[in-house]
Amino acid sequence: MKAFAVTVLMLFKHYFRDRTSVFWGLVFPLLLMGLIGLAFGRGENLSFAVGLVDEGGGPLTQGLRHGLAQVPVFRLTDEEDEASALDALRRGRRTLVVVIPPVGTGEAVRVYYDQARLQESRTAMVILDRFIAEANLRIAGVKPALRVQATGVAAARRVRFFDFLLPGILAMTVMNSGLNGLTWVITEYRQRLVLKRVLATPVHPLAFLGGLVARYAATNLVQLAVIIVIAVVAFHATIVGSLWTLTGLALLGTLVFVGMGIAVSTVSRTPESANLLGSALSFPMMFLAGTLWPREYMPAFLQPVISALPLTPLVEVMRAVAARGEAVSVYWTSLLYLSAWGLASFVLAAWRFKWE
Amino acid sequence: MAALALQVRSLVKRYGALTAVAGVSFDVARGEIFGILGPNGAGKTTTLEMIEGLRRPDEGTAVVDGVDVRADPRGVRARIGVQLQEAAFFERLTVEETLTLFGAFHRRATSPQALIERLQLGEKRKAWAGTLSGGQRQRLSIALALVNDPQIMFLDEPTTGLDPQARRNLWDVIAEIRREGRTVVLTTHYMEEAERLCDRVAIMDHGRIVALDTPRALIREHTPGTTIAVSISGGAEGLDALPGVRHVELEDGETLLSSTDPIQTVHALMDLDRQGALHFHRLRVEEATLEDVFLHLTGRRLRE
Repeated sequence: MKAFAVTVLMLFKHYFRDRTSVFWGLVFPLLLMGLIGLAFGRGENLSFAVGLVDEGGGPLTQGLRHGLAQVPVFRLTDEEDEASALDALRRGRRTLVVVIPPVGTGEAVRVYYDQARLQESRTAMVILDRFIAEANLRIAGVKPALRVQATGVAAARRVRFFDFLLPGILAMTVMNSGLNGLTWVITEYRQRLVLKRVLATPVHPLAFLGGLVARYAATNLVQLAVIIVIAVVAFHATIVGSLWTLTGLALLGTLVFVGMGIAVSTVSRTPESANLLGSALSFPMMFLAGTLWPREYMPAFLQPVISALPLTPLVEVMRAVAARGEAVSVYWTSLLYLSAWGLASFVLAAWRFKWE
Repeated sequence: MAALALQVRSLVKRYGALTAVAGVSFDVARGEIFGILGPNGAGKTTTLEMIEGLRRPDEGTAVVDGVDVRADPRGVRARIGVQLQEAAFFERLTVEETLTLFGAFHRRATSPQALIERLQLGEKRKAWAGTLSGGQRQRLSIALALVNDPQIMFLDEPTTGLDPQARRNLWDVIAEIRREGRTVVLTTHYMEEAERLCDRVAIMDHGRIVALDTPRALIREHTPGTTIAVSISGGAEGLDALPGVRHVELEDGETLLSSTDPIQTVHALMDLDRQGALHFHRLRVEEATLEDVFLHLTGRRLRE
């Protein structure tokens, strides 16, 4: 027991004295979260900057203006003239510019949009079209035969992008500790005969290996805690589920991926090749398993593959708990599947493990 | 306490078609420094590792301090101190932490502080193991072997790769260990090391022990004696008839006389010089070494 405890303590120190491991365990996940958040995280506040050029000034214009201001997703700006409005559009400050002609001229209401942001512009156009059509009907005094009443059904809680991203990043960090970190560490210890030196003492091999696994559990919990704190403070992410449940999931994930790491290390002679093999497994999972964006973004033919990956259930359950506050018990099949991966890895590792 | 520190009986280890160790037997008495001398690949390390319980012998066994290594390898490891050839440490643990960690692997352990003082690692107490010099690493390695205060120690090529200064320093450490009454089994391919440190030496080649005795007895038995090298003007005829001379050969312009009685031979040479029968400019007397023993037994040099 003493051997186990001292092993955990010493290997813990040994880990945090290594700058590269701190990079991969802490800086990289945070960097990734920041970058992905910058790239995809802004779509949540859908709004369009609409510049309004009023050439008429009559009651119709007043009506239109008033109406447009009612559309919740339009942020209306009054422009001085058409030229300065178009200039603002070209510089990306506006999504649409609407020019209302003087009354009675019969001229069309002119709309300019940003071709560089076609999708955004189109969405805004559709909304504007609807608005104009409605206005026409009102002016003509026609009572629409068909009406739509749309009611948005909000989820129990609105999930912001960083709330979605954070559990994925946490699961990824757990995976990398096993597949990228441990594969290197254990093959290096073996190649440089550190394992052999340990074996040359009367310590039970499992006390040492157990200590190594526990060290991963400890360092992962520290890393995840730091990531969570920074995500909450800097990215305003929130975790609604139980932190204890998340801790439990992180520990289960650590066991599974550390087991896979040891299994990988048994087929490689050098740290380099073990690490390469570990990365070859972890990298695709990082992008496929719904870690950084919803797995539904991936094509249909990949979905069965994604379902088979061991990272997928970990991401799924951690996200359900962290972002939506669901109970883990709902996901017992996912957890069972994840555990099966862990068990298989440990069986393979125990069967093939070599000390030198 | 068993009378013998170590009894090795017919150890055999095969790797596929290669027989690394082909039936090695010897005994080591308590308090003895026993050396295994041989070139790289002779089977020294494999032999040691079978005795230490790190490798399972295919045949034979070893009894270490009364414990049969085949029956209880971990029991053997608890009683011995092991220094491994070329094994590394946890690079980012300090000297002190390394000793604490390995101390925790034993039932009882000497305090890191005491070991640090013994091995003169005081200045490096807080230094990471990865930053130590070759000599310091070997001293830390020996400190690790001493952590459980063992009565029997195994040192595998303790001075390989060290500069002469660090090597001498380590010889003092080993001599000190012996003064404390511990038994030491060491391997080396430096014959000078074996001659200086060891009470008895086993010479190994191709997985077998080809000779085993005290260094002096080995030299006496397996070398033609002392070599007297002279540069002579005049013929070398008749030199083989001088007292003690067993063999004469010419090498690089020198005449090499192998003698079993060097004093008589030198006297005879002096007489010949005074009589004017020959004239010699230089004379060197070289004691035979274990290197010569090895050359004699195997036809090869130790480091080739």
